[in-house]
Formats: sequence, structure tokens, C-alpha cells
Amino acid sequence: MLDQGATFRHEFAVSEAVYQGFLGIFNDRNPLHTDSTFAQQKGFRSVVMHGNILNGFLSYFIGECLPTKDVVIHKQEIKFHRPVYLGDRVTLEATIDEVSEAMGVRAFKFKFYNQEREMVAMGRLQIGLLA
Amino acid sequence: MAFEEVLARVNGVFVDVLDNEDIVLKYETTSADVEEWDSLAHIELVLEIERQFQIKFTLQEIQVFKNVGQMCDAIVEKLA
Repeated sequence: MLDQGATFRHEFAVSEAVYQGFLGIFNDRNPLHTDSTFAQQKGFRSVVMHGNILNGFLSYFIGECLPTKDVVIHKQEIKFHRPVYLGDRVTLEATIDEVSEAMGVRAFKFKFYNQEREMVAMGRLQIGLLA
Repeated sequence: MAFEEVLARVNGVFVDVLDNEDIVLKYETTSADVEEWDSLAHIELVLEIERQFQIKFTLQEIQVFKNVGQMCDAIVEKLA
């Protein structure tokens, strides 16, 4: 189930609804995320999606994609390697690389890839299994 | 590994994980004696001790420890 080496994959769509939802809730309207002219002047193809949208996808992964709902997140860290754009499809690949039965902990390493199979982000997360 | 060496290394883990250079562990030390040692810190401490000593505890073992000293005794035994 949640054993050492177990790997999980899930694809997410960086849709207009996701983008607008993030904007509406968190109100980060920095021009990098909202002004395509500004973004292009800074060297990006178009407006860049907020990096923390990927953290939202991780929240869904932890809460909804694992074999059990008895989970709580302890910590996560993420490094953003490439920009993500509106309309991208990102695939999360996460592997359990540490198990502590004593503490009911599972630690994952993960990567997000875009539809071109370019790695856009990577990191680690740790969850606890609730009794 | 001798008890004193284990205690010193465990002390190092506490200093790093809890980010407090003033921690000095004794045999009788419990979480009540260390301000930063809450439930989440406890998880991180056990994980890091498992990594440092390349050992694994069971839940039953962890639940039995009354203080740092008893945990160190168990580590000495596992390394023997």
C-alpha cells in the first residue's frame, strides 16, 4: 500500500478555472501572473502560472490520491525549475523513499513534468498516517 | 557504541532538529524539559535518530521510552 518504493502518478490540468480560482482566493496579481506583455518582456512565453498552484495540486494528491484518507501533511518543500503556463498539463510522479513505522510517517520525493516531459518542479513531502 | 557516545550524537540531533544550540540532554530529560519538543518535533527527532544510527524503532518501542536515557539505552542495544 504505502510501502517503500511505491510510486504514484497523477495528471493535472492548469486550466482557466484553476488559474482564476488561485487569483480570486489569494489575490496575487503580480504582473508576471497577469500581464502577458510584462511577462514577455521578462523573457517568458506568456503570463506565468503561480508556482503555488503546484502546491495546491500536492494538497489534492495527499488528500485524495493515496490509498487511505487517514493522512496529515507534515512538511513539503518544492523547487520551481521551469515556468508553467495556462493550459499546461502537469504530471506529478511521487515515490515513497522513507518509511517510519514507529512514527507512522511516509516521505516522498516528487517531480512535476509538463506535457513536453520537461521537469517543471521537484521536491519532497512528508505525511503522517493518522491512527 | 558506548552510551555516552550515543547520548552525544542524540544531543546533536536535538540541537539540529530543534535549532537550539543550548540543548544539553541528560538521562532523565523528557519533552517537558525542552520547550521546542512538541508532537511534530518528536516525529522529526525520531526520524532523524533513525537515519543517523541507521536503525528502525517500532511504535511499541517508542511508546515505552520514559526519557532520553531509555531511548539511548535502546539505541546502544540495537547497535550491539
